[in-house]
Amino acid sequence: MQAARKLPAQNQALVFPKVGLLSSEQWLVGSHIITALVALAIGIFLGPFQLFRRAPMLKLQIPVFSYYYQALTVHGVINALFFTTFFIVGFSYFVVQRSLQRPIWRPNLAWVAYGLMLVGLLMVLYTLITNQANVLYTFYPSMIASPFFYLGLVLLVIGTWVVTAILFMTYYAWRKEHAGEHVPLAVFATLSNYTMWCVATIGVAIEILFMLLPISLGLIHTTDPQTARALFWFFGHPLVYFWLIPAYISWYTMLPKQTDSKLFSDPLARVAFIILLIFSIPVGVHHMYVDPGVSMVMKSIQGIFTFAVAIPSLLTAFNIAAVLERAGRKRGATTMIDWMWKQDWGNPVVAAQLVGMLMFVVGGITGIINASLTLNVALHNTSWIPAHFHMTLAGAVTMTFIGILYWLLPMIRGRALFSTKVALWQIYTWFIGMLIFGYTYGEAGILGVPRRTDLGSASYVNAEAVPYLNAAVIGGVLLLISGILLFVNVIGTLFFSKAPVTGDAPIDTHVVSNSPMFLERWGFWLIVVLVLVVVAWGPVFLETVNFTSGFNVHGYKPDAPIPFP
Amino acid sequence: MIHIHRLERYWMIVIGIVMGGFMAALVASVLVYGVRLPTPVGRVDPTHLEKTDVATPGLTQDSEHAYTLRVVAQMWRYDFGIKGQMPKITLQHGSSLKIVATSKDVTHGFYVEQHNVNMMLVPGQISEMDVVFNKPGIYHIICHEYCGPGHQNMVAIIEVL
Repeated sequence: MQAARKLPAQNQALVFPKVGLLSSEQWLVGSHIITALVALAIGIFLGPFQLFRRAPMLKLQIPVFSYYYQALTVHGVINALFFTTFFIVGFSYFVVQRSLQRPIWRPNLAWVAYGLMLVGLLMVLYTLITNQANVLYTFYPSMIASPFFYLGLVLLVIGTWVVTAILFMTYYAWRKEHAGEHVPLAVFATLSNYTMWCVATIGVAIEILFMLLPISLGLIHTTDPQTARALFWFFGHPLVYFWLIPAYISWYTMLPKQTDSKLFSDPLARVAFIILLIFSIPVGVHHMYVDPGVSMVMKSIQGIFTFAVAIPSLLTAFNIAAVLERAGRKRGATTMIDWMWKQDWGNPVVAAQLVGMLMFVVGGITGIINASLTLNVALHNTSWIPAHFHMTLAGAVTMTFIGILYWLLPMIRGRALFSTKVALWQIYTWFIGMLIFGYTYGEAGILGVPRRTDLGSASYVNAEAVPYLNAAVIGGVLLLISGILLFVNVIGTLFFSKAPVTGDAPIDTHVVSNSPMFLERWGFWLIVVLVLVVVAWGPVFLETVNFTSGFNVHGYKPDAPIPFP
Repeated sequence: MIHIHRLERYWMIVIGIVMGGFMAALVASVLVYGVRLPTPVGRVDPTHLEKTDVATPGLTQDSEHAYTLRVVAQMWRYDFGIKGQMPKITLQHGSSLKIVATSKDVTHGFYVEQHNVNMMLVPGQISEMDVVFNKPGIYHIICHEYCGPGHQNMVAIIEVL
């Protein structure tokens, strides 16, 4: 861990007013962020190479991972599950410690959680590299991977449960000393996120512990793919909000400071986070609109809830647009719309978030299209879907995380960002590259090109879609360059930057909020969530579970049509 | 309660109208335009398909313009009861086709290009869909769910004359 090297003299601006915890904080947050970056380095470059492989004019073999689906599994699992989780946990510790101005509860336990997640990452990586888990990041049974793959995922999830306990205990310790006060918005959002996460992970925990792990170990010999899909998507959709909420934390609580603006409405923000908490989970069936085992009634109900979960994002659009308008006016905007472009495009921390938001506009609109169940029929499992979620996950989420990285990494290292210029090139190549990918793959998807398919060796590719698949290569090249620039800056900041870090963490420590206190009753919201989960998911499981013959589908290794074991 | 700014209130009304409009469009697509999604029609034991509805895969003609296609998806081809990697069936245009499909091993997809058939084939479940082919042409059936190293070659053809 590079962050663990001897640190230069501590910057006074970073010291807690009350507790001098800086060095341990740098170790803990630094380890999480660096691990996240190592994971990202493994996963990110396999993205562009998939575009090169799928372009009919290139059909390029993916280097190192000659098997397309292995590379795809690494890209999905390592980026979407491990990079995100490590980054979010490190960021959460930082946000909670700084906002509440107190050390997290039981820092040693935080290291235990980190250890669990790290061992999980190593186990999963091992199975992926040795070709024992070519099951993609959705790992649907009856396709079965190595037990170590599932164990690694279990360790990751258990680690995050420990993190949740640490964060909540830190909050309750603060609450004891601050009865009647509002908790800072960043902490409020963090707590709502981990509450949602803990409920959501129950689904995937049941799927792994009672279905996937036993069958991969040979303890049982059959499974139920339809129920497993429901359990996965019980978890799989809230997962995307688990990624998104930390980005929202940056937009709501940090961007106003970074743009010399002010949040328009703190209560509206809190309401948005509560709606996200409530409606993130009862929506997962929208990933199963064309599954045979779920009724039209349940598909419609969860479809309507999916529309409800778009509302907090639309509220966010209003609130953040108001922040940006104020920022633009301060920079000299005078007309109704010129504040939109009079932004701080030359500051990587701000610019990364702005392009993330622009991509999120596309991601949000395409998301509402996907949620519309009859439109979904035209798009499900086509390349339109990765085009959509790269606008959200690789757009809003990852670009905001990179924006955070550009101030947080210097703070962890105690040195200034290696190069602002490289950072700006990284951001704009990413933006344009991802938009090209999104547009071309969206068009190809409408024409019927399937996602997650090795088109480089496919027996049929729609000729009409070929120009789009070829054009996507331009996006891939830009994204490859962007990835390289990102790591030039990361390595430069860690090892070669000499200038001292300037500026303080963009954290609110005292709160001015006129939001009602009942929004902070976590026990109450947990009950609301659980009730809604039972109402929205109970009937789905009653439909999918086979009560007469139980599990009756054999497991298969991905490479052979012979039942396993 | 929560103080709501005047502009916030206007924005919320706009959100309500937009989302309501989308919802109405959805209802219309089902009720007026008749778009259908797969719904539960029955289960099978994938280890004993010989005793079920899809025991003999293939195309049968039910009446002059009505056909039934029984499909068993497997790693890595569609079984139509026809030999070969890319099986093909032929229909007259204007024919209605009832597709009855399942998987005997892992989860597969059943997507008809340039048409409105999009189904998951989940082992243990029957997927069913009624469609009409009005336009002559070649329609490719594509497996759009990863099912192993041969997934990209899992293609079949419906030729409409």
